[in-house]
Amino acid sequence: MIEIFTSPIVIGLIVLGTALGITVGAIPGLTGTMLIALSLPLTYTMEPVHALVLLVAMYVGAVSGGLISATLLRMPGTPAAIMTTLDGYPMAQAGKPGRALGLGMGASLFGGIISWLALWLLAEPMADWSTFLGPFEYFSLVILALALLAGVGESTRAKGLLAGALGVLAAMPGTHPATGELRWTFGFTSMNGGFGLIPVLIGIFAIGKILTDITIEEAEVEQSSGHDSSWIPFREWLPHWKNLLRSSGIGTLIGVLPGVGANIGSLAAYAAAKRASKKPGDFGHGSEEGIIASEAANNATVGGALIPLIALGVPGSVIGAVLLGALILHGLQPGPLLFRQNPEAVHAIIGTMFLGNIVMFCLMLGGARWIARLSAVPRKILSPLVFISCLWGAYALSGRWFDVIIMLGFGVVGWLMERLKLPLAPFVIGFVLAPVAEENLCAGLMASGGTYLPLVTRPVSLIFLVLAGLLLARKENQRKKPQDLVS
Amino acid sequence: MATTGLYRKFIWIPLLLIGALAPRFSHAQNFPDGPIEVIVPFNAGGGSDVFTRIFQKAIRENELCAQPLVIKNVGGAGGTIGSRWAKDAAPDGYTIMCLHDGIYTAQHYGNADWGVDDFEPIAATGRSAVVIAVSEDSPYETLSDLMEDAKARPYELVFGTNLGAPNHYSALFVQNGKPGAKFRFTQTGGGSSRLNQVKGGHIDLTGFSVAEYVQFKEAGIRALVVLSEEREPALPDLPTALEQGVDATHDLMQFWWAPKGTPQEQVDYLAKMLGQAMETPYIQERLKQLQVEPIFLTGDALKQRINERGARLNEITIEKPPPLPPLQWIVLGLVLIFGIWVWREETSKRTA
Repeated sequence: MIEIFTSPIVIGLIVLGTALGITVGAIPGLTGTMLIALSLPLTYTMEPVHALVLLVAMYVGAVSGGLISATLLRMPGTPAAIMTTLDGYPMAQAGKPGRALGLGMGASLFGGIISWLALWLLAEPMADWSTFLGPFEYFSLVILALALLAGVGESTRAKGLLAGALGVLAAMPGTHPATGELRWTFGFTSMNGGFGLIPVLIGIFAIGKILTDITIEEAEVEQSSGHDSSWIPFREWLPHWKNLLRSSGIGTLIGVLPGVGANIGSLAAYAAAKRASKKPGDFGHGSEEGIIASEAANNATVGGALIPLIALGVPGSVIGAVLLGALILHGLQPGPLLFRQNPEAVHAIIGTMFLGNIVMFCLMLGGARWIARLSAVPRKILSPLVFISCLWGAYALSGRWFDVIIMLGFGVVGWLMERLKLPLAPFVIGFVLAPVAEENLCAGLMASGGTYLPLVTRPVSLIFLVLAGLLLARKENQRKKPQDLVS
Repeated sequence: MATTGLYRKFIWIPLLLIGALAPRFSHAQNFPDGPIEVIVPFNAGGGSDVFTRIFQKAIRENELCAQPLVIKNVGGAGGTIGSRWAKDAAPDGYTIMCLHDGIYTAQHYGNADWGVDDFEPIAATGRSAVVIAVSEDSPYETLSDLMEDAKARPYELVFGTNLGAPNHYSALFVQNGKPGAKFRFTQTGGGSSRLNQVKGGHIDLTGFSVAEYVQFKEAGIRALVVLSEEREPALPDLPTALEQGVDATHDLMQFWWAPKGTPQEQVDYLAKMLGQAMETPYIQERLKQLQVEPIFLTGDALKQRINERGARLNEITIEKPPPLPPLQWIVLGLVLIFGIWVWREETSKRTA
């Protein structure tokens, strides 16, 4: 594994990817998903290992960068940093912005390393085990993933299900994944391959975001000042070891769950830390524990999300879904054979997860305040730049204007979904997993001679379906909003 | 190596656009005066893609063509999306395609309503042998055992394949070689997913090219038969089907095609270029690594070989799989149901 990381190009890409990730993470108008979706076309021309290193480093950076603007500007640069805002900003207002940043960075590093350990230790055994999953089990697993998204997500269950079903629907036109027959192409040959992953992703996440930004007023930026140090000595971390471990563990576990990403991870860890705290009253008023819980957990979701991606080919987050697309574009099939056929790709992902976190910590320690200035760039400058990169990104994939039209179309879809408050994550995961589910269901039916019985007679498949059913049938409780947790 | 190919493809995009706009004169002496686009109807990184890129590299490095070859991957639907693309391209020699026997199996199976008659064959550039393999803990030690069982229990043994692909036809030829024996076919996708499924016991047997088998053997699979006329030098211990009392042979050939109506001079130029590439030590070495026999055919010999291979499919009758659920309509129905649910939730919130 080490020889990959002795190459100066690889190290350079990790630094570049992490730095870019931190920057977009810190700028409220840009997200990590956007950055990775837009960078994907650029990586076609790179070696697969280099492409993976760059993209994973961006992932690590993007999850971490949000803490800067959350702390200094009270604007979460990424949804993952919402919980950090609650305590980071009050602490910065109280004249300790350096300490608030330092706690966030250290916790991010710790969470990243814990989940890296989990990734390193669990991905391969899980991949070996996954050969026991046959077509019916895979189909049930996808159903479980979609149920989880709808049942655990931030919006109501009905909205989660609708968004997921819309994503699956968007995957239907084109070629039947099992029989190769054409459907819903309306006579256009360009439609034979269906809607491409990249145009859909860029459209939903980048164009949709631009449209949303145009239609809402730009908020006033509040800035806090102070010049205390971000370096926090080791002994000051010691009292927090329980919180660090708990939050990293929660983050890793939540990361593994398909489609539930960093924001839920930090929310859950924050709630758990508050419950366990001796001073729950401090939460929301600049609690050190709050910052640590949120930041350790959101970085830990990265490693967690990569485990099922590498082992099963089922992404654990939206960015995971984009990385799945990247692997396939480079001719790598995630799953048990990735370890045998392309060990260098697995090593690249796992190694970058580790080094990316270290680089993230160093870069943030050195440049957090400088990066914070970037986040004040007005949207009217950012949006046109992003728009041009979207056009280019969609076109460069296969040189078809059709893809650009698709991208713009899905931009409108993304904007409409935002307006209707439909979550985007189930849409994307549904879109990515629909062909997996359909191909496996059809393969299973062909192997079983047309009977659906194995779905419930095979134990693993039955367990997945029962879990999915329980998640959906569970009484919908009023979920706690971030504000509720503060009071 | 694939990466440099992609890089090439990438920097030629603007040139391609210029080439498409500029008026073109198709005099033989001027051909080619622009890049030649080679359609690979499979995704980048797959076997066909690697095979084509080897030729691209040999042609570029030995300057066998005045213009660059640009590879375009148009994957999906077992190669039919790309082959349709190539069939509909202008017949001027600037768009060609590299596609194996899949061109007639897709037509025979009914996945495509076009086939070899819609193309001008340029050349055949290699032959791969195929094997049939089971998991290493399978009870079957020989093809004869397996076929006896397939005859005693028809439609019980599950063969994982890509429906309508050459791999599927390998199995159909084996089935035909033992009257009464029947497999049940299921869709399993590419080589690595077939390996997973056979290892996990989700399918009983499947087919691999010799190159795939050599690569996957260690993972825990066992070949029972090679479907060549004679034993393969790479696998001298593996008996043929004929030796095991099953009258079946099959293999895979790689062909290069131009759209119907491409002038003969252009076809000849391209055939000569490929022939020269076949002679290079680089290609010889790489084909050896990929377990591909370096056969090269053009002109009448090529046409005769294509007709023979196409005619062999006439012995095969297709049995279609059981009807599959119309998932697209189910999903549309679900969208409507969830939509109504959300709408009711919203209206009840507003009235509350």
